[in-house]
Amino acid sequence: MKLRLFTTLGMTAAVVLAACGGTGGTTATSPTASASLAALPDVKVGLATSKTGAANFYNPQQTNGAQLAVDQFNATGGFQGGRQKIQLIVEDDGSTKDQGITVFKKFVEQDKVAAILGPTLSAVAAGAHPVAQASGTPVIAISNTGLGIVGKCDYGPCDWIFRASLGEQSAVPETVKAATTKLGIKKVVIIYGDGKFELDDLGIFRDAFKANGVTVAKEIPYRATDVDFAPFVTAAKAESPDAIVADSLAGPAGKILDEVAKQMPGKRVIGGNGLNSSALLSNANAALMVVGTAWSKASTDKTNTDFIAAYKQKFGNDPDQFAAQSYTAMLVLIDAMKRTSRMSDKAQVKQQLEAVKELATPLGAFSFTSDHDVKQPTFVMTVKDGAFTPFQ
Amino acid sequence: MIEATLDFLSAYSTLIALVGVNALLALSVWVTLYAGQLTLGNAAFMAVGAYVAALLERHLGTPFPLALACGAAVAALVAVPLGLTVFRLRGVYLAIATLAFGEVLRVILLATPITGGGQGLNGIPPTTELWHIYLSLAVVAYVLWRVQGATVGRAWAAVREDEIAAASQGIAVRRYKLAAFVAGALVAGWAGGLSAHITFSIEPNDFAFGKAVQILVFAVVGGIPNPLGPIFGAALFTALPELLRPLRDYRDIFQGLVLLAVIIYLPRGLVTVSQLRRTRRLQQIGAADVA
Amino acid sequence: MRGCPGAPRRRALRPRDTGGGCGEGARACDPPTPGQDPRHAGGTRRLVLEQLYNAIFIGSIYALFAVGFALVFSVLDILNLAHPTVFMLGAFAALFAIGTLGLPWYVAVPFAVVASGLFGIALDRIAFAPLRRRGAPPLSAMISSLAVTLIVVRLVELRYGGDFITFPSGTVPSFLIRIGDATLEGVRLAIILLAVGLMAGLTFLVRQTQLGRDIRALAENPRAARILGVDVERAIAATFFISSALGGLAGVLLGFAYNSVDSKMGLPLELRAFTVMVVGGMGSLPGAVVGAYVLGLGEVASLVYLPAELRDAFAFGLLFLVLIVRPTGLFGQRATDRA
Repeated sequence: MKLRLFTTLGMTAAVVLAACGGTGGTTATSPTASASLAALPDVKVGLATSKTGAANFYNPQQTNGAQLAVDQFNATGGFQGGRQKIQLIVEDDGSTKDQGITVFKKFVEQDKVAAILGPTLSAVAAGAHPVAQASGTPVIAISNTGLGIVGKCDYGPCDWIFRASLGEQSAVPETVKAATTKLGIKKVVIIYGDGKFELDDLGIFRDAFKANGVTVAKEIPYRATDVDFAPFVTAAKAESPDAIVADSLAGPAGKILDEVAKQMPGKRVIGGNGLNSSALLSNANAALMVVGTAWSKASTDKTNTDFIAAYKQKFGNDPDQFAAQSYTAMLVLIDAMKRTSRMSDKAQVKQQLEAVKELATPLGAFSFTSDHDVKQPTFVMTVKDGAFTPFQ
Repeated sequence: MIEATLDFLSAYSTLIALVGVNALLALSVWVTLYAGQLTLGNAAFMAVGAYVAALLERHLGTPFPLALACGAAVAALVAVPLGLTVFRLRGVYLAIATLAFGEVLRVILLATPITGGGQGLNGIPPTTELWHIYLSLAVVAYVLWRVQGATVGRAWAAVREDEIAAASQGIAVRRYKLAAFVAGALVAGWAGGLSAHITFSIEPNDFAFGKAVQILVFAVVGGIPNPLGPIFGAALFTALPELLRPLRDYRDIFQGLVLLAVIIYLPRGLVTVSQLRRTRRLQQIGAADVA
Repeated sequence: MRGCPGAPRRRALRPRDTGGGCGEGARACDPPTPGQDPRHAGGTRRLVLEQLYNAIFIGSIYALFAVGFALVFSVLDILNLAHPTVFMLGAFAALFAIGTLGLPWYVAVPFAVVASGLFGIALDRIAFAPLRRRGAPPLSAMISSLAVTLIVVRLVELRYGGDFITFPSGTVPSFLIRIGDATLEGVRLAIILLAVGLMAGLTFLVRQTQLGRDIRALAENPRAARILGVDVERAIAATFFISSALGGLAGVLLGFAYNSVDSKMGLPLELRAFTVMVVGGMGSLPGAVVGAYVLGLGEVASLVYLPAELRDAFAFGLLFLVLIVRPTGLFGQRATDRA
């Protein structure tokens, strides 16, 4: 939105308010540049996440992960020899684009944050990321896995956007390769949903199977409003495939797993990031799934075990991939900020994010590619005894 | 002080814009409600306006105002055959028929390559400025306000009160109902074009059942007696999620409570607030109700 | 009938023929080409039968859901948008009974049904009764039910989170029925039988009992019913109890069938219920039942016989067609002027 008109409007309103002797807010962020040793104002970081609405199941993990990283950092002193801490401002985007944009604008214009993490959904990011890009605010995407988030974006340059979440473009081919070679798959049927996430994945799956010489015998779409998945699996069975692809979010995936177990015993279910859900672990047939994940809980790397222990102590349950990703994004951001001369200088933060190199995180040694995408291995996993374990 | 105010205004510029767009949408459904027709198809007309405007701009380089006008015109054109087909349905039947139209349109959008399918259209330039929205709103509201007293408005009111009586008085019921339907589609299509140029991207799910119901809520909660009602309703229920932000996890609950309280104490909408003390007598005002 | 409650369904349910003739260890045997497989023709017929069974199952769920929705509409002219919430609450009440109270499933089901029914009465007292007293238009009732949905869904999410939850392992009934070569999952068959039985019971209740006569009188004309001595408020409460008990039961059963419940599980059924009511005839209970099975069959048939892109259009195309050709639906008598 162009701001000319309401700049004028705002001036008028402000003058009126000032004339009326209003004693409203003072700007909290004007940096005290003096060399005094007094505490400096907090560096603000915004986290936009879906606490309510259609995608609310990524929380509280997504919020907890980032909060844990901030709390740990502040407890160990913060920036400038303990004079400056990070303040994490968490806002709910209601899983909608409208609220996502408003939250991003609030972060940029009112809270004057130094950087933003989020939002949860790619569909919300399509509206919210351009806001940050236009205002020159660095963003780290923590759970967007689809196309056009970083690198080449539909809305023009997106050089202020970074991504800490493993894109499906990297994860799916790895998963397909591992599943094909280890299970000897020749023919699959893809059952896919009609959302943005599933449709992005559909194209990636198609390409990946083609590259591995696997025939996609049939693609069966379902709608977000379908409740019973037995007919889809029966229709898939008619093609006698070697495996089923559940290109879906976790809820439908659980139903597809159940039906495949019943109707096509012995067949495996290959999935995308949607299957990376701790809620699926309690599914009786979770052992059938093969899924590429960004994080392995089983990794014995010290950064990872420390993270899991600290998370468990603070929140009383195990972290999942989404907690690990938002925790990692915050570690990366802190690492970059430490190397700036002024933490709230957004241009410096962006520059130093680009310079992050081999940082130890729960996801492994972390760097960004030249496209600002995460450079990390894919863990191809399955489920055993109620936990994600490496697929062999 | 000045800085803080400016920050506030820039932070909430999208919200202010969306209030205006939603007010236009609410007015689009008000027109049909005023003529006694309960439609849930305006989210679909909004989609038509949004997609046509965005696609014309992208592929033919059509200038923004012209693209908006084309979007609204196409929405109105689509409304004509639809209106002719469903005109004999009333009340809930009409609502469900128009809802079905919306779902069929959504399926078409999902299956058509040029609309981007389920991925939608991304990277739409944010061309809409606040004055575009509020000027449109002022014009539409003024026209509708004047229409109430004009022949068309009186005909609509008569059709709403009693179709058979209206017909017996020589009112071309069918033509007036169609006019209301098409006028609503025109406004919704225009609003759709405006909104597509605020939110950077559109996808079929933006215009689904939830949106259709939301638009109806704005209009009904605001009140049908005059065009100010839908504007109030849209403003309140667009701003409410942001106003309730301090309540954090309890936001939705309070939003529900506000909605419940308004509809129970002011069942005919916010604009009837002056009659609050007389609500028990409202049943005598009765007949003017839709559905 | 052979029951083995609690057994892992996957192991127990192993048909001798997986349809394609290729068992486990896909590497070892190539999928047969259709022309060469002697069992192909039989396999196809079998698949059609399986899909028919799937369609009857989902039709039963739609029917249980839509009958309650149609009942409230026929009696009070209210489109109760909180009905999907009742569906979800039924499933969560069962989860509470099994998971928190440790009750067995055969106690949890009646518990959930009664809890849903009582919620229905509460819903009426909170969202609809005040509007009736004020003589508000039916449209306001639709909106107040929407408000209740917002509140209740969020309350459930605050307690149980937004993600789906499974029942504790071994607590959901699971048994198999073998008829010749075919294996049927007991829970699904039981759900179908239960749905058909309940709808027969509901028809009896509405047609043959005093309560049913009261409800029908109320549906025809509330004022006349009152004059004739019908306890209107009691009949309304009964209507809501029955409607919500059926809706809640549908939720429990779908939760059992998939061993999964979540706060948004009712939403997909909302549009379905509209379709079912229009196809069957607004406010007609037998119509809603028939409409539900027609929709279930139509959805599955279009999956099998139509190209993927057209499948979605089927349900709404059908709906549109019915509205244009026969707006009263299959069983509706009251014509277009009934608002």
